[in-house]
Amino acid sequence: MDAVEQENSERQKKWLKDKKIGEGTYAVVYQGREAGTNRKIAIKKIKVGQFKDGLDMSAIREVKFLRELKHKNVIELLDVFSAKTNLNLVLEFLDSDLEMIIKDRSLVFLPSDIKSWVAMTFRGLEFCHRNWILHRDLKPNNLLIASDGHLKLADFGLAREYADPGYKMTHEVITRWYRPPELLYGAKYYGSAVDIWSVGCIFAELMLRIPYLPGGSDIDQLKTIFRALGSPTEEEWPGHTKLPNYVTVGQFPKPPLRDLFTAASADALNLLNKCLIYEPRKRITAKEALHHPYFFALPYPTHPSKLPKCSTKQDTPPLGEMDGNLNGKGRKRKLSSPDGKVRSIARKLDFGQVVAGSDG
Amino acid sequence: MSNHLYPLASLVQIEQTPSREDGIPESLEEDLRAYGCKLIYQAGILLQQKQVAVATAQILFQRFWFVTSMKQFGVGDVGMGALYLSSKLEECPLRMRDIINVYDVLLQRASHSIGPKADQQFRYYPMSYFGDTFYNLKEALVVAEMQILKRLGFNVHVVLPYNTLVNYLRLLGLGSNKEVCSRAWGYLNDALQTPVYAMYQIPTIVCASILLATRHLSIALPSEPPTCWWELFDTLWDDVWSVSGHIMRLYRPESSEETQLVVGMLTKKDVRRWLEENATVLPRP
Repeated sequence: MDAVEQENSERQKKWLKDKKIGEGTYAVVYQGREAGTNRKIAIKKIKVGQFKDGLDMSAIREVKFLRELKHKNVIELLDVFSAKTNLNLVLEFLDSDLEMIIKDRSLVFLPSDIKSWVAMTFRGLEFCHRNWILHRDLKPNNLLIASDGHLKLADFGLAREYADPGYKMTHEVITRWYRPPELLYGAKYYGSAVDIWSVGCIFAELMLRIPYLPGGSDIDQLKTIFRALGSPTEEEWPGHTKLPNYVTVGQFPKPPLRDLFTAASADALNLLNKCLIYEPRKRITAKEALHHPYFFALPYPTHPSKLPKCSTKQDTPPLGEMDGNLNGKGRKRKLSSPDGKVRSIARKLDFGQVVAGSDG
Repeated sequence: MSNHLYPLASLVQIEQTPSREDGIPESLEEDLRAYGCKLIYQAGILLQQKQVAVATAQILFQRFWFVTSMKQFGVGDVGMGALYLSSKLEECPLRMRDIINVYDVLLQRASHSIGPKADQQFRYYPMSYFGDTFYNLKEALVVAEMQILKRLGFNVHVVLPYNTLVNYLRLLGLGSNKEVCSRAWGYLNDALQTPVYAMYQIPTIVCASILLATRHLSIALPSEPPTCWWELFDTLWDDVWSVSGHIMRLYRPESSEETQLVVGMLTKKDVRRWLEENATVLPRP
């Protein structure tokens, strides 16, 4: 055993696996803790098949970017180690995500709560963009919530650098409902504005409690967007008819946002509007958004510790109970139950959720 | 987990690399590193890969030998792994089969050049589609990719020198001198065959390339204290000089025995055989 192997095995001993909490195509996720401190962690074990294409691209992206990004609103990669032929990522353990919170009908959101979540999202995103990294898959279930209420950007499996202007990138990114129109039209040159659109959709979803622009297909997505925001004109968005996959999907008038967002403040609607501007270059940037009057007006954002939380505690049996129930039906059902908390964490940490198969 | 984004080899690693610890002489190790990088470069050209990805592969390759001995992994295999990994890192993925095919050609050509029929023209015999050669190379490639990641502690951040060179040349008023620019650029590329990218900061390497280019073209730059041009870029003369030495070493005439020795040691098996045969001659730790 040489020095490298030794160091690796020492690192491995530092992290203890407790139980499996989910499985995807590329990774198995375990809950664990740090030896010594007993801090809760998540271990994402990436399967490396000897006869596949080596390490999965999203795993490599995730390691590459999370190693660089250290911010209160970005999930922290604590360590990486390998065991036999597996790659293991040690991440901080976060027990819920924004999607669970939005869907939990028992929770009531105050305008200040929404402001707090949106502010934390923008803070994390501004940090990514400041470091020239695009997230490219922002959606409520990739925004994880720590037990102290802090929101953190997660799943960097589709992220990439964008320092090089005029460099072709794939347009097949971002989950459809959160995908901006320029990507739906097949733009290959784009920038940080794509993430802002996604944040706009999330912002709207927080207010509406249902997905804002749920398109059934790529074409239907365009229709859904135009129905909500009006068809873009050449003046509003110069050159959009020249994009590679441009199609006409009919003319829709522009309804006032106020009609749908009846309870929102004028500042909130103004910011939302700026996130959903068709022309990507006119869309607000994360940094500008953080200076938007919305965040400085009353009511101030709720302190993270006072934000509404999912009351899913009873869904997860304590560890002892789980172990004692190994051959019972109960455990099996828990793992595959679609609504259970266990299942949903697994999905978030799952590389199988990647939208685009290839990239380039 | 260290947070250094641009990791450089430590003094201990530079003084005694794992290969040297295993009895491989310093000059032989440097030659093998250079040859491995040439293979990466040739494969990159044949695969029409972007220079950014090829350069990244070469730097990862150079870093690898500061934590691993050539007795454990062959320079051919690790080169393949580096090229594959860098293609993913730089978002221009290559197909495994393409890399394997190209390396098979390069390795066959290399062994032909030192074989008994070296005087005859080289003919490539493609491997069979489901043959052992392919699966062996494929397994080596997958293992090498993982080992590079693991042994570099997943530090795959690489800084390339080109834009720094452009800035420095402009600052020195040499930006429009085509000869200087292309020479210095060439030295930076050649330097990828040496370990300097794993030992020195980018400004030092860029200054060395400018030093070599201007000296070759007899262009005088202020070099007397207190106005030394390299100080403008926060570099030390001794470091710049040392990097220049590493680069110039590449151009020294090589005897045919030396070439034969290097080309015959591209796999760990060859290296082990050589070590056994030469073990009595060498002082072993």
